[in-house]
Amino acid sequence: MKAIAARIGQAVGLILAVIVLNFILIRIAPGDAATAIAGSQSASDPELIAELRTEYGLDRPFHVQLGTYITDVLQGDLGTSIWFDEPVSSLLLDRVGPTILLSAAALSFAVIMGVTLGTIAARKPDSLLSHIVTVVALVGYAMPAFWTGLLLLMFIGVKVSFFPVSGMHDVSFDGNWFESILDIGQHLILPALTLGIIYLAQYSRLSRASMLEVLESDYIRTARAKGLSERSVVFKHGLRNGVLPVVTILGLQFGAVLSGAILVESVFAWPGLGRLAFEAVTRRDTPVLLGVLLLVSVSVILANLATDLFYRIIDPRIRVSGARND
Amino acid sequence: MITKQPTVHEGDKMIINRGKALLALLFAFALIAAACGDSGGDEDGSAAGDDDNTETSTGEPDDSGNADSEDEGSAQEVVEGGTVTFAVVGGVRHLNGTVQSGYATAVPGTQVNASPLLFDEEYNPQPYLAESWDVSEDGLTVTLNLRSNAVFHDGEPITSEDVAFSILTSQANHPFSPMFEPVESIDTSDPHVAVISLSSPHPAILMAMSPGLLPIIPKHIYDDGQEMKTHPRNGGDDFVGSGPFKVVEYDAAELIKLEKFDDFFLEGRPYLDEIIIDFVPDPQAVILGLDNGDYDMVSSPNAGAVEQFQGDERFVVEAKGHEAIGQIDWLNLNMRSEALSTAEARQAVAIAVDQPGWRDIVQLGLSSANITGIQNGSPFYNADAPSYEDRDLDKAKELLDSVGLGDGFELDLPAYSAQLPTAEFIKQNLEDINVTVNIRTVPDFPTWASEVAAGNYDITYTQVWNWGDPVIGVERSYRCDNRIDPPGVIWSNNSWYCNEDVDALLDTAGSTYDNDARQAAYHEASTLINQDVPIIYLGKPDWYQIRKTSVQNPPNGVWGFMSPWHEVWLSE
Amino acid sequence: MTDLFLLDGDTVASTKGQALRLFLRNRAAVFGLILLIAILAMTFIVPIWYVRDPGDLIARPHLKPGAEGAPLLGTDNLGRDLMAIIVYGGRTTLSVAAGAAALIVFVGVSIGAAAGYYGRWVDAALMRFTEFFQVLPGLLFAIVVVALFEPSFWTITFAIGSVSWPGIARLTRAEFLRIKNLEFVKAARAIGSSDFRIITRVVLPNALPTLIVSATLIMGSAILFEAGLAFLGLADVNNPSWGLAIGRGRDNININWWAVTFPGLAIFFTVLGLSLVGDGLQDALNPKLRGR
Repeated sequence: MKAIAARIGQAVGLILAVIVLNFILIRIAPGDAATAIAGSQSASDPELIAELRTEYGLDRPFHVQLGTYITDVLQGDLGTSIWFDEPVSSLLLDRVGPTILLSAAALSFAVIMGVTLGTIAARKPDSLLSHIVTVVALVGYAMPAFWTGLLLLMFIGVKVSFFPVSGMHDVSFDGNWFESILDIGQHLILPALTLGIIYLAQYSRLSRASMLEVLESDYIRTARAKGLSERSVVFKHGLRNGVLPVVTILGLQFGAVLSGAILVESVFAWPGLGRLAFEAVTRRDTPVLLGVLLLVSVSVILANLATDLFYRIIDPRIRVSGARND
Repeated sequence: MITKQPTVHEGDKMIINRGKALLALLFAFALIAAACGDSGGDEDGSAAGDDDNTETSTGEPDDSGNADSEDEGSAQEVVEGGTVTFAVVGGVRHLNGTVQSGYATAVPGTQVNASPLLFDEEYNPQPYLAESWDVSEDGLTVTLNLRSNAVFHDGEPITSEDVAFSILTSQANHPFSPMFEPVESIDTSDPHVAVISLSSPHPAILMAMSPGLLPIIPKHIYDDGQEMKTHPRNGGDDFVGSGPFKVVEYDAAELIKLEKFDDFFLEGRPYLDEIIIDFVPDPQAVILGLDNGDYDMVSSPNAGAVEQFQGDERFVVEAKGHEAIGQIDWLNLNMRSEALSTAEARQAVAIAVDQPGWRDIVQLGLSSANITGIQNGSPFYNADAPSYEDRDLDKAKELLDSVGLGDGFELDLPAYSAQLPTAEFIKQNLEDINVTVNIRTVPDFPTWASEVAAGNYDITYTQVWNWGDPVIGVERSYRCDNRIDPPGVIWSNNSWYCNEDVDALLDTAGSTYDNDARQAAYHEASTLINQDVPIIYLGKPDWYQIRKTSVQNPPNGVWGFMSPWHEVWLSE
Repeated sequence: MTDLFLLDGDTVASTKGQALRLFLRNRAAVFGLILLIAILAMTFIVPIWYVRDPGDLIARPHLKPGAEGAPLLGTDNLGRDLMAIIVYGGRTTLSVAAGAAALIVFVGVSIGAAAGYYGRWVDAALMRFTEFFQVLPGLLFAIVVVALFEPSFWTITFAIGSVSWPGIARLTRAEFLRIKNLEFVKAARAIGSSDFRIITRVVLPNALPTLIVSATLIMGSAILFEAGLAFLGLADVNNPSWGLAIGRGRDNININWWAVTFPGLAIFFTVLGLSLVGDGLQDALNPKLRGR
């Protein structure tokens, strides 16, 4: 228990560090939110910009701004977006769903397809199928995500009208909640595919290697000796251990998936956190940017913690922070 | 990679299975949550157009801010109902046009808020919220007679107090300070008459009462002591306005849905049931959406879109309306930088820049020559001002030699990604006179703006809008007193130009109603300015629109789509 | 993992020879190698006779390959030669990738080695530091960094490098943890070798196979990272890279698909080559994990 408390303490420290670092970075950036607002209007007035700066507290000393922000956060107040004049928390809430959706869909696709392909390849390591799987996996990895997205848009999205080309749902949508789900699902396909292809590559390679090892092990030989069907041996008994590395990586990749989401969300105009964060940088909308970073950091840390815990349960021989092979 | 011997426990199986179930549940939950979150709860009625085929009476005469499209034939019967979906690149901060300018705000803003006047295709003011108006002989009093049947979206009547409140709010908060600067007071003793007193004659004031520049906002909602620039009612589902459409769904980052306001002060208007304004992150999404049929209308698409849809039967592609905007693409020259401190050097650079080539290659021909800061559609445009469109490289080199710069020099050009094509083009141009342009990429607009505002540049590219009257949009780039010390302000006098004669001429032109006198003054000013070359004018882009053939009577007056769409209708 | 004894130099050579042979028998790896050699040739040899300035406006914009007056691969949004951009853009892309990979490996290995070898509080402190960088969403952080300091070779390399090292740090640490307790390391310590000598001459060479594999993959992901940044507009325009070329073409895909496709293919083949070679190295050095 003490270990867990210590971990949580470390986590809080981490998050604070992330906030401070990014606060400093945005502050150093040339131009501020008032400039960005002026830009949106195709006009600017010196007095007005000065007024905007005062109103948003941009002219207060750095440490005052930072101190105020941290105090607010600790009280649960994430501040107000300078650009939208709306509470950051509601902006985040609006966008977190779509990002989770996109990431979950992409990763699910990647894990399921990847593990399946990898396992098949591991069963018959010298077969044509195995080689094809390897190649497909590599191809998926080597394509830059945004490029894949653009290509999919160009060659499929535009030609095949079934696939919508941007956004999360039809602009003029007007139906019940079930039709809404279908509509979103339809919009989800191309972006999730684009995002998932990269991870598909990783997971299929990973599971292929892992399954290869697992299938050589004693208990599998025992299972075979017992006369169980090959399919049962591989998919029931082998998989449950072979999939462990994939799970490990999943937890660790949370932050990476979010980063990948920025590019894909950008290409497909998907209304997620990635785009929100990118636009916040461009608009110097510090409260929003910090809000996203906060959210992401907390999620990653939670994911790491969860993975650690998962391993503790799986094998108490592994110390949570120690000589564990990653 | 785990290399130890795996052990199998029943517990593991349970955990893995539980994990899979959890993932599936999370997935489903997220899907549902996103669906509920974004369908906005209640979707009212069908958005599809009802084919009513009701022939409407022509309503009140002279109330049209949109001229009937000659091509469409005014003989066609207006069909009421339907939804128009309009795509905009970027997003809005909110809908209150008294504290915020810009196209993205003005398009939805002019649907939800009404102004005293409309402007037609000839720059003639037309009645809108004001039935009639009067300017006194001495130019110091402007009287607006408001309609008596006008109400806000919450049912409250629109009175002269609201007009006064809106003008004063704009005066204090709007970036275009010249618009209402000379307003001293407004008499609201009669609820349907606003009497505006000016400190000096101000010809720009009528233009300032355009839909995009003076929306009339409800005093009873906003006058509560809160700061107007950040007022919580500036946006949101509960927005209360004075215009033909009211807000039903509002997400400033994604989409705004507007619905017909039944008690609008013009009988029988608007024709449309619904307008959806969709915000997209980049021009490519607009093109794809058009192709897919998602969008009915778009404004100012990029050149590639115009090229793609030009021959497409499904769409009408034309460059109509929007004359008052007067966007000019130009290059600021920093007169403070050593290399550009002489007029000869600046003239040489102006000659070497291939303006016609730029229009041809970077704008794909969709731009016209515009050799002064006043746009070429304005009656004040001086086509005879000194021009540098003729690319006489020998002359340019001579000029450089005459000031000892024959060996060439370097120029610093900060640019962010959208400006890169022009920056790269200019770089190639200037190589021909031995001038090396160092393109300094900056990541985004605020970085660029702060660099230019602070004077950290030698040459840079930007667009500046005329906004109807030179007093509103043009003057600020040239006035001596608009040179602001670092950190400075973008789109002020960033070239650091100062010519007292020019200032005097601008003063004259801005304070008389006599159009001939104004024209003479502006002509002389532009001649002087063009001899000094603080700015190199690249051209004026044609303002295109792409719309489905079903969209009839789009607002093609001088303000284009920054005008109420109360007379737009959908055929079929 | 094959244990190599490295107290003298001989055994390394014979093991190396074995690995090389295994590598060359792997058709996929050889294919990857060929790809890489081709890309390198294109980047460094072709410019010798195909002398062009990739910034020159040589023809009408948006010319399709094969159209009249069009160069081999067509022109981009300003009328520049796409072939020249691909040939010359390789330099920028590859040098940024190599620079970033070098930074990543140097920082990551140093930190991981120190953490793994010394253990205890050094390990704990360094791992917290590593976690800090793992928690930051990499691309976003890099965007912020590049956004603040003008995009140049150094800022971009630094931005990519500063967020990507945690992976190899953890890997190195794991390897060090494993190797440091092996007999021959204990022996080295017993005879009084300094820590530094042990780390660099004894432990590190044993970890090398894993690290080399990682390095090739890191280079691949650095290329993708740079392309992503350039796509978002964060690139040095005076030295265009393949990612920048894709970004330039983005707004006009509907009338000019080749400006986006060819640079993308260049990136694709390079990363593919690196991945295949990396995989081949991994299989060659770890015969147990091969599918043979």
